[in-house]
Amino acid sequence: MFTGISLVKLFKPIREVSRKNIVLFLAILGPGIITANVDNDAGGITTYSLAGAHFGYSLLWVMLPTTIALVVIQEMCARMGAVTGKGLSDLIRESFGVKVTFYVMIALFLTNMGNSVSEFAGIAASLEIFGVSKYISVPICATFVWLLVVKGSYKFVEKVFLVACMIYIAYPIAAFMAGPKWDIILTATVVPTFKADSAYLTMLIGVIGTTIAPWMQFYQQSAVVEKGITIDQYSFSRLDVIIGCVMAIVVAFFIVVACASTIHVQGLRIETAADAAVALKPLVGKHASILFAFGLFNASLFAACILPLSTAYYICEGMGWESGIDKDFRKAPQFFWLFTTIIVMSALFILIPNAPLIMIMFLSQVVNGAVLPFVLVLMLMLINDKNLMGKYINGPLFNLIAWITVVIMISLTTLMTIDLLSPGFIGRLLGL
Amino acid sequence: MDIIMSELYLSTILGKTVIDELGQEIGKLSDLIMVPGEIFPEVSHILARRRKDTVSIPWHEVSLFNPFVISIKGTPTKIPSFSPKEGDILVKRDILDRQIVDVNGAKVVRVNDLKLGGHHDLLCIFSVDIGFRGLLRRLGYERFWEKLLRGFHKELPHQEISWEYVQPLEMNLSRLTLTMARDQLGDLHPADIAHIISQISHKHIQTVLISLDTETAGEAIHELEPELRSRVISQLDSEQASDILEEMDPDEAADVLGDLSDEKAQELLGLMDEEEAEEIQELLEHEEDTAGGLMNSEYVAISGDITVYDALKEIRLLAPDIETVYYAYIVDREENLQGVVSLKELLINPPDALISDIMAENLKTVNVESTPENILEIIAKYNLIAVPVLDMEGKMAGIVTVDDILELFLPYALRRRRYHH
Repeated sequence: MFTGISLVKLFKPIREVSRKNIVLFLAILGPGIITANVDNDAGGITTYSLAGAHFGYSLLWVMLPTTIALVVIQEMCARMGAVTGKGLSDLIRESFGVKVTFYVMIALFLTNMGNSVSEFAGIAASLEIFGVSKYISVPICATFVWLLVVKGSYKFVEKVFLVACMIYIAYPIAAFMAGPKWDIILTATVVPTFKADSAYLTMLIGVIGTTIAPWMQFYQQSAVVEKGITIDQYSFSRLDVIIGCVMAIVVAFFIVVACASTIHVQGLRIETAADAAVALKPLVGKHASILFAFGLFNASLFAACILPLSTAYYICEGMGWESGIDKDFRKAPQFFWLFTTIIVMSALFILIPNAPLIMIMFLSQVVNGAVLPFVLVLMLMLINDKNLMGKYINGPLFNLIAWITVVIMISLTTLMTIDLLSPGFIGRLLGL
Repeated sequence: MDIIMSELYLSTILGKTVIDELGQEIGKLSDLIMVPGEIFPEVSHILARRRKDTVSIPWHEVSLFNPFVISIKGTPTKIPSFSPKEGDILVKRDILDRQIVDVNGAKVVRVNDLKLGGHHDLLCIFSVDIGFRGLLRRLGYERFWEKLLRGFHKELPHQEISWEYVQPLEMNLSRLTLTMARDQLGDLHPADIAHIISQISHKHIQTVLISLDTETAGEAIHELEPELRSRVISQLDSEQASDILEEMDPDEAADVLGDLSDEKAQELLGLMDEEEAEEIQELLEHEEDTAGGLMNSEYVAISGDITVYDALKEIRLLAPDIETVYYAYIVDREENLQGVVSLKELLINPPDALISDIMAENLKTVNVESTPENILEIIAKYNLIAVPVLDMEGKMAGIVTVDDILELFLPYALRRRRYHH
């Protein structure tokens, strides 16, 4: 019987260290780590920077429970992929029919379009630091992304992106060099604080939404399926998920700390990408903005390659349309039009004069948070289906954590919506 | 009495109220149980969901069945509750929304809807809707789109495949397949089967491979992309994998084994026929992208002192086990290559001519370490179908055929072409 988290079980593959095991692990390594790195995309960096800059350390406590929820959720996807050999939208279609699939796919299309928009916003913002106008950078990058996808040479470039992600190490170092008060940070990490205003609430949803985004579940599961990982090799895959999630959160944590101990302490606000770069000043001084711009550019371009393409894959998989980059517009029209539309529309959106780039990147993450619970409910129904998962259904602990996440996300989203419609609602609610 | 309207779609009847003779509600139609029929699969029971449970009603008790009324005979007071048994096939649960193979179009598609129809008062599955129209019908937008498109003088196309051309992928559904369809899958070109395999989940791959004979399975596996190929082989049961490998040409088997881990490859070689295994082992020892790694060690070898008549007789005997028979190579006792005759020359020369008199002696060869570029150059320059490969001592080791070389260069050519379009 699968009983959920047990440390012994999680690290079982490591206990039997041998050459064969290490080789096997390296072969399976990947889906989790790539997902996690794409997670820290333009929207991610922006949201964490804003959280630190505007709310100081007061959101740090969210990181720990979010990590647990992220590991649990991503592990569920990897397990479903390994057991069934099918992607998430495939399973949704087979278990819930056309109607549910159709509306989930529309939601996924819209949120991922939002995410893509934020990636192009990231590209525009980062290159503006170098003095390149967005009217030049965005069309060029959009064309580049489209060609990369169609030419099918993406797999090679992926490794370049992954290596460039090492730039995130700058944040922990910058955070240490800023000399923050670690006792305060530690307290803020473990003791929850809560502010009753809609700005704080929106930020809370944004932080959770960017860390646990709906596209990640679809991506993780199909990456596991594509690698052909079966349940026998699954323990390695689980380790990959955990390593990836921890990496993502560690980076997120230090972005918040770095921004909190520089920008927030100085009482500044982030209005443009250049403001967010200030967080790296303790490390590289006046070169901070160059380092920041490079990191943001890499992250944005990386995610801009993955998101439109993977969205097109999931939608075609769910609706039963031909897909695959080895086809063309004639053989797989829906597939090719979907990712082309996402790329073109996202790029055009950014080209609107005076588009508030930072705000766009942040809001798309809030939408992620709002869509997440629906995807989670479907996932929970699937993974507890004995016909589908056999003895690999969720244990009680996993179910509990996932359901708590669902309830929290739904309540937060509802609260935020009501507060937007009738400002001051939360204050009144808590004031009573 | 006409129980069924001539044809109806599954989506238009699911969820409809099932009533008895007096018009009292029994439940909502939730699914249909299928059994293999005379020609098409037939409905044996209909399932109706009530508030607390689901009941199953045998087909012969149904009196009316159409999108407007579903009624049963009499006014039964106690209908047995339905509990799913292993092996039951439920049309909504097991077929609707699943992937199937369209054998005619040689591709994997998803079932958007099913067309049912009456056949001697029995309800059968006639065809599978895989098109946009089926999706719209499920969503409830079919009428709207029809009207919309009519405004543009266009028709919403019907995309349906007859059940004869359907191969389900789930193991327990295979018994609903018409025997005809089963054979059709085997009749597909191995490259088409490989394309199908690359689109389905690892469990379904097993179903497809098991339904093929080992030779076709082997050819299909060889057509897969190297990464997927080693995945499929390592997920097969070792016995089955080695059987399939034995049926493959040695050079193809060596290709497949070369992608696997040493351990797995040795395990599979151990399970194979000793002679075959040895031949593959030799091929494996050469670098993959040299003539030695590309060559096939099976070729037609004859001696020079026989007549054309005898040579043809010998080739006829050897041909079933050898992939390329267009050239017969004349080899002496020490395996030194003397010359070559093509099948064409054998056919146009008189039967009593001696081989040594008609063979071409000045032949083009490559050696085991030649690069694919060298081989391509020779094959293209001298218009060859195959070129002999000599080992380091100058003895005949095998042949590389034009398709083996083409396969190496084709991906680049194809990619370039697609990019230019």
